[in-house]
Amino acid sequence: MKRRLSTGVALAAAGALLAGCGGGGPSSGGGKISDDQIVLGVLTDLSGIYADIAGPGSVEAVQMAADDFKKKYGDKAVTKNIEVIKADHQNKPEVANTQAREMYDRKKADALFDVPTSSAALAVATIAQQSKRLYFNTAAATTELAGKSCNPYTYEWAYDAYMLAHGTGAKVTEQGGKSWYMIYPDYAFGQDMQAKFTTAVEGAGGKVVAKDPTPFPSDNYSTFLLKAPGLKPKPDVLGALQAGGDLANVVKQYEQFKLRDKGIELAVGLLFDSDINAVGADKLAGTTFTTAWFWNLDDEARAWADRYKERTGKRPTFDQAADYSAATHYLEAVQKAGTDKAEEVSKKLDGMKIDDFFARGGTLRAEDHRLVHDAYLVKVKDPAKAEEDGDYTELVDTIPAAEAFGQPSPDCHMS
Amino acid sequence: MILALAGALRRYPAGVRWGLLAAGLLAAFGLPWVLYPPVAADILCWGLFAVAFDLLLGHAGLLSFGHAAFWGTSAYATGLIAIHSGLPFYVAVLGGAAAAALLAAPIGYLAVRRSGIYFAMVTLAFAQMVYFIANQWGDVTGGENGLQGIPRELPGVDLSDSFVFYYAMLPVVLLGLVTAWRIVRSPFGRVVAGVRENPDRVRALGYPVDRYKLVVFVASAFLSGLAGGLYAVNHGFASLQEVYWTTSGKVVVMTVLGGIGTLWGSLIGAAAVVRLEDWLSTAGFEETGLVTGSVFVVTVLVFRRGVWGTLAHLLRYRAAPGTAEPEPHLEHDHDDTAQRVPS
Amino acid sequence: MTSFLQQTFNGLVSGSFYALLALGLAVIFGMLRVVNFAHGAVYMLGAFGAVVLADSAGLGFWWALLLVPLALAVVGTVLERLLIRRLAALDPLYNFLLTFGIALVCQDLLRMKYGSHSQPYDHLPFAGSVDLGLFDFPRYQVFVLAVSVVVCLTVWLLLTRTRIGTIVRAATERPELTRAFGIDTGRWVTPVFGFGVGLAALAGVLAAPMRAVNAAMGGDLIITVFAVVVIGGLGSVFGSVLAGFVIGMLQALGNLYIPVLSQTSVFLLMAVVLLIRPAGLFGKEEHA
Repeated sequence: MKRRLSTGVALAAAGALLAGCGGGGPSSGGGKISDDQIVLGVLTDLSGIYADIAGPGSVEAVQMAADDFKKKYGDKAVTKNIEVIKADHQNKPEVANTQAREMYDRKKADALFDVPTSSAALAVATIAQQSKRLYFNTAAATTELAGKSCNPYTYEWAYDAYMLAHGTGAKVTEQGGKSWYMIYPDYAFGQDMQAKFTTAVEGAGGKVVAKDPTPFPSDNYSTFLLKAPGLKPKPDVLGALQAGGDLANVVKQYEQFKLRDKGIELAVGLLFDSDINAVGADKLAGTTFTTAWFWNLDDEARAWADRYKERTGKRPTFDQAADYSAATHYLEAVQKAGTDKAEEVSKKLDGMKIDDFFARGGTLRAEDHRLVHDAYLVKVKDPAKAEEDGDYTELVDTIPAAEAFGQPSPDCHMS
Repeated sequence: MILALAGALRRYPAGVRWGLLAAGLLAAFGLPWVLYPPVAADILCWGLFAVAFDLLLGHAGLLSFGHAAFWGTSAYATGLIAIHSGLPFYVAVLGGAAAAALLAAPIGYLAVRRSGIYFAMVTLAFAQMVYFIANQWGDVTGGENGLQGIPRELPGVDLSDSFVFYYAMLPVVLLGLVTAWRIVRSPFGRVVAGVRENPDRVRALGYPVDRYKLVVFVASAFLSGLAGGLYAVNHGFASLQEVYWTTSGKVVVMTVLGGIGTLWGSLIGAAAVVRLEDWLSTAGFEETGLVTGSVFVVTVLVFRRGVWGTLAHLLRYRAAPGTAEPEPHLEHDHDDTAQRVPS
Repeated sequence: MTSFLQQTFNGLVSGSFYALLALGLAVIFGMLRVVNFAHGAVYMLGAFGAVVLADSAGLGFWWALLLVPLALAVVGTVLERLLIRRLAALDPLYNFLLTFGIALVCQDLLRMKYGSHSQPYDHLPFAGSVDLGLFDFPRYQVFVLAVSVVVCLTVWLLLTRTRIGTIVRAATERPELTRAFGIDTGRWVTPVFGFGVGLAALAGVLAAPMRAVNAAMGGDLIITVFAVVVIGGLGSVFGSVLAGFVIGMLQALGNLYIPVLSQTSVFLLMAVVLLIRPAGLFGKEEHA
């Protein structure tokens, strides 16, 4: 019995090994629309930590954009064949790298969308440049994509560390949170956020009393929460720049140390709806942060969110909305250019004014391929005031496009 | 090189030996025709890594749960050399492997002071330390953004096509495999095997047991580094994933799946896992850990010989019934001599 | 000075988790010679158990504290009977590998069911803080420390004062001798494994109100706990527990005074211990 089983597994393994797919040659752009088909690829995290923020919901958003485009242009569309494909990168940059190649080369994707996690997004940007196809980042926050690693084939659609830090840092300070205690995870994103927060706070006339790097990942933030009330002068705001599970740790422990009662408010760097759900909206109520968009922003946003909910049964995240917006404008640009050749499409996109349900007052900057648009300072809604499940945020202030994003980075050389 | 590989199979009858060698080389040269070339290149890298790992586990009987430290350190070092020097990628990879060996010396020196399960825990812990350092030292490693933009440099050859790159890296992998095999077959390798079977006797014969273990450890780290460096060049970057403990776990899974101590079985284990993950990721089934984990549990429970070992066992059993091949032997910790009696 | 004491106390609280986990690892190792790689996964399952009880049955923290460790201990005994035992006659490394595989499967099963992000848990049994003379501290965290200390002491008393304890301890510290005396240690194997698993689950339940509950929460933690038991000496129950508390303190103080070393300090300490006392601070000498 044992032996038979072993043989079976061995055979199965050998089978899996041999079951490779035949390779196809690189695509050759013959007509105006290569293969008379536009392929939109969504490379995302289908199961990991970003699966709710991006994931299957992003795939659906891009599909929705394709459907709307077909409906809008009907017979006048450059092609009727618009296909949406997806792949999972498991938040691993090497998987993202291989999958991106495969999607561009073998599955003939004309543009990729989404790609959470900065390391994965940077890897995909490189492949986009090598493959000479477009990539629209909506999910990674690193400023490097529009900085040192910018390239003519990569666009940034939704947000970045500057937007997150600048909005919250400046606005909270202006509203009276003059002295800050900053705790940031000790890795590239955390260090970057910390620097940008500090600039924003000081620029608005505030002061950073102290800043501490925290281990990543960590279960215990008590060290810093204990330290906060004893600082001189006592900080008005605890700026917690952790993300995901670490942020949940910070908030749970912030709550237990009763810092809000001691006059220390909480401001966070990056907060997703899934984080609010994890910690509980009641615990976070009143916490301020900056977001690129939220579905309950206004009628226009809600109208789109309702249509999205009809398809998926869920409310969209800002990332999913950005995917729809990016895919729509990509298709529009293809329609205008009459070809899906990346360089031609890019010419139509660069400098484009964009004003839709997602991006207000937006311009797609030609210098660094960043879409600058209005951002929103929001706070977590008291759950008692929520209109429905998933109604987590309310608007505090709109940050106009001109202020929301920084100037194009001097490190960016399009070539 | 081919002769050396042929020698590697000396234990088998001539027909089987040449048949296997031919099949192996055919597979090595034909892989990128059948599989997507970047995936084929991944199989080579992981295959060499798993063989290097088996050199330590299967032949010295030491279970390292921290080999990601060497694979990853070399990936970073290779990347840094390639980015800053513009030298051919062969040089960069060699430099990376040297860096891995350099790191392995102190870690190995400390780790070989313990054996068995302690060795596994100690190596795991040290690898975790390397991970934290890589994460914090963002100026050099790029932190969680990874070290991006590692070039595939080779004067006179355009390696941007993965298909071409595969054949450029293949000789390095084959050399690595032959080296691993030479170590096993050398007089040195026989002493190492003796250390695994009975360290006390080898010590009594006057061999410095710990030094032998250390040398195998460093050699294994060097070969792992070779693999890690190639992997970084193949993908064009090195990331924290390379030094994370899941990578150590992955190579353990591959080797156990292929067959501990079979050396070549590790190649099959690596190919199977890489292929499986690629297929799962493309098919949209996301829980790769669930699948590989379950396969691994079943392997450990019911066929500890792994794919290669089981096949070899069956072949030999058919040839001469009754001469069962023993299951792979792992080194005991010294206070483990008293096994509890199953009741 | 107050701040120093406060941080030391805070370190003891995080040390409570290390100590409970190390204790479980040590008793299992003592009896079975198996290092349970799935220990971190059990910790994670313990926290999820609390979440699931609250969501599906509306049972609060106290029920979870009682039921979840018991339930997981039962699962542990089943696991021991069905799987671990099959490999008992082989080198313990095979069981190490087996439990590694089980950990992978557990983690991914939970991820499949609940996703990777953290789960909410609202059942904080004590709000507010308690005055400890020199400083205030959240009541719940003081409670965690108290539970951990009481459990560790109780286990210590069980091991030293009862007949079962004597047998287990003898089997742990002098396995050859125990067998030579003709004492049947075999029948204690399953209960001890279940007990160790229960301790990890207890740590998980305790973590739910103060830490993020997600599928990955045990993965990194278990590696630190491995370092803890190497430092304390895995063969020594006392050493493992003590090392747990000490390392919790070192990390808390490290966070404050030398942040660069906060995460690597435990591994550096392990390196030093390996240099001077390879068997661990409280482990018995062996010729290595």
